[in-house]
Amino acid sequence: MEQNSFDAIVVGSGMSGGWAAKELTEKGLKTLVLERGRMVRHPDYPTATKDPWDLPYGNRITQEIRHRKPVQTRTGYPTPANQHWFVDDLDNPYVEEQPFDWLRGYHVGGRSLMWARQSYRFGPLDFEANAKEGVAIPWPVTYDEIAPWYDKVEIFAGISGSVENLHQLPDGKFLPPHDLNCVEVDFKKRLDEKLGRKLIIGRCANLTAPLTHNESPQRGTCQARNMCIRGCPFGGYFSSVSSTLPSAERTGNMTLLPNQIVYELIYDNDKGKATGVRVLDAETGKQTDYFAKIVFLCASALGSAYIMLNSTSSRFPNGFGNDSGELGCNIMDHNKPGNSNASVEGYLDVAYTGRRPNGFYIPRYRNVGKDKRDYLRGFGYQGRAARAGYGRFNDSAAIGEDLKKEFQEPGPWNVSMTAFGEILPHHENRARLDRDKKDKHGLPLLAVNAVVRENERKMEQDMKNDAAEMLEAAGFKNVTVKSDSYNVGNSIHESGTARMGTDPKKSVLNKFNQVHACKNVFVTDGSFMPSFGCQNPSLTYMAFTARAAAHAVDELKKGNL
Amino acid sequence: MQRRELLRRAAWMLGGAVSAPAALAILQGCSAKDSTVNASAFKPVFLTGASHMDMITEIAEIIIPKTNTSGAKDAGVPAFIDSVLAAVYPKDAQERFTAGLTEFGAAAAATGKPFLEQEPAQRAAFVKKSLEHALEGERNPKPFILMARELTLLGFFTSEVGITENMEYVAVPTVFHGCVPLSEMKKHVYWE
Repeated sequence: MEQNSFDAIVVGSGMSGGWAAKELTEKGLKTLVLERGRMVRHPDYPTATKDPWDLPYGNRITQEIRHRKPVQTRTGYPTPANQHWFVDDLDNPYVEEQPFDWLRGYHVGGRSLMWARQSYRFGPLDFEANAKEGVAIPWPVTYDEIAPWYDKVEIFAGISGSVENLHQLPDGKFLPPHDLNCVEVDFKKRLDEKLGRKLIIGRCANLTAPLTHNESPQRGTCQARNMCIRGCPFGGYFSSVSSTLPSAERTGNMTLLPNQIVYELIYDNDKGKATGVRVLDAETGKQTDYFAKIVFLCASALGSAYIMLNSTSSRFPNGFGNDSGELGCNIMDHNKPGNSNASVEGYLDVAYTGRRPNGFYIPRYRNVGKDKRDYLRGFGYQGRAARAGYGRFNDSAAIGEDLKKEFQEPGPWNVSMTAFGEILPHHENRARLDRDKKDKHGLPLLAVNAVVRENERKMEQDMKNDAAEMLEAAGFKNVTVKSDSYNVGNSIHESGTARMGTDPKKSVLNKFNQVHACKNVFVTDGSFMPSFGCQNPSLTYMAFTARAAAHAVDELKKGNL
Repeated sequence: MQRRELLRRAAWMLGGAVSAPAALAILQGCSAKDSTVNASAFKPVFLTGASHMDMITEIAEIIIPKTNTSGAKDAGVPAFIDSVLAAVYPKDAQERFTAGLTEFGAAAAATGKPFLEQEPAQRAAFVKKSLEHALEGERNPKPFILMARELTLLGFFTSEVGITENMEYVAVPTVFHGCVPLSEMKKHVYWE
């Protein structure tokens, strides 16, 4: 018991878990971090320095990868260069009551290693929307309350971006922005002149300049390789492996154990507190209990919901802290109904050097200010202009010397962009446990049932029409708007399963991410979101995790936990 | 290879302590590995049908021949195509490829001589004609000759000689510049 006891337990080592580990250990708490997957240490990323010719099969997804990872390949991600970061679906099954794409990385660092690094604040518009529109429940936190925590995590992580003074997309503490390329600069001008819409450089967690603090000596600046998804040995982008976990390690207060599958919270009915967690060793199946004064669940929205649903007791017969009946419900993601592209005439005498790990962003403008639509909320676009690569030779009859002459010039320009639309929380978009089905550890499977509904469908029309309108307004040619089938989860932003709120009858967590009914358990991954904006969410998870950790330590000191 | 990897590790381990140009120098100082395949030692795993491997080898070389720069054979494209067909292509595409290759051979032979016995100019003309014909017709599913072309290009532009002889490949660019006149570049830059 003694050796298994800590001040704090953090479940998960990714985007949120890393922040919890850093903040708790830096405040002096002996902290156990439990990760269900294998160990990964900075800067040991096995494919990070491979040149294109070092990768097998031209880095195309093999049939073996498709066989083992049928869900993960729905995104097109697990190539030979990065497939070791994506779970084996055959070993990690779940039930799709509706098609649901659950993209996962079971290893230290989680999805903070593979994320697209886009980092946007949610603004007052997002925090106020539910209350103003009577959707779901109000946020218990205002923008002004979370803003200083955004400052803190941006400064530590290193977020690059441009200051734009947009109410719907607040500025942050930015490192210098990446350049827009020549075509993007003109696209921006024309959108502004013709439609009054903004195009800005993406805000991303890549170090365009040295960090403004000296807490991360293991990190260097971004080297413009655009191979981030493999892990960056330079520490050029933020991941828990490159950034927060090394900080936690340096305190001497962290114990990080890989291959530990947390499947249950231990609840003490007399104390009215959680006393620890139950764990299976992923390799040996050995069961161990670990104990602590506080527990942070940072296992992802579905991972943490799973643990809570699987933690039943006489006090919590329907899942841990589930007095409201909302646990596992209100799953959100970003609706991504298709990508749009166009060809660009001219600009043949200009190009760019280096490989930018970032693109442009068109912030939300629908239902902003005076704009009013027949649906709620809005969407943003992420995209880029680029000169075509060798793929342009595929559908041509040029051969021999004629073809080789064409190799000497870069291809024509094209533009592509994808809209990400807000999905409203809906009680029936939910995950539950299917106790009749078990995984190889004998644990019940998560069953997920989530779809896009009327508001999202209405918004899709604008997402497509506006893309065509903007590409045409810019004078681009061959405008194509694709309709792709979208499964909830495909944007890899699943969230909402243990929403926060002021009313314990309608929410699982309070405004500090504490379980209403058991204050020494905190849930700080995407689970807590009562609504979802159209912005990429990781930065928000970081900010709320840091705030929750500070609150936890304060409360511990006061003897309240 | 091992020395290169060790040096790389050393650079990474030092992390922020190594300036980007220094890390770049370490990387560029190490010679890259030879990615070409020794043709005589090569045994196909997928293209095992009679003269299938030889035909693909010649088709690839016709599309991207050796000139004053490397061609498909130099880049190891034939072995690459065989490996991608075996490991990447689903069964139906594999079957279409094999059937298409057999058909291609039969159509070439119908002009008088088997493809592999034809004069180089005649072979090239036949490949060109096949491509033109395919581009005019139904392209879904992709006709054999366009599959062969796509594989040739993929193999060539993921090979070391294909990339480095035709583009300026910089493993560690260190910085992104958004708008640069082509006149200021030696060659156009590898961006893929």
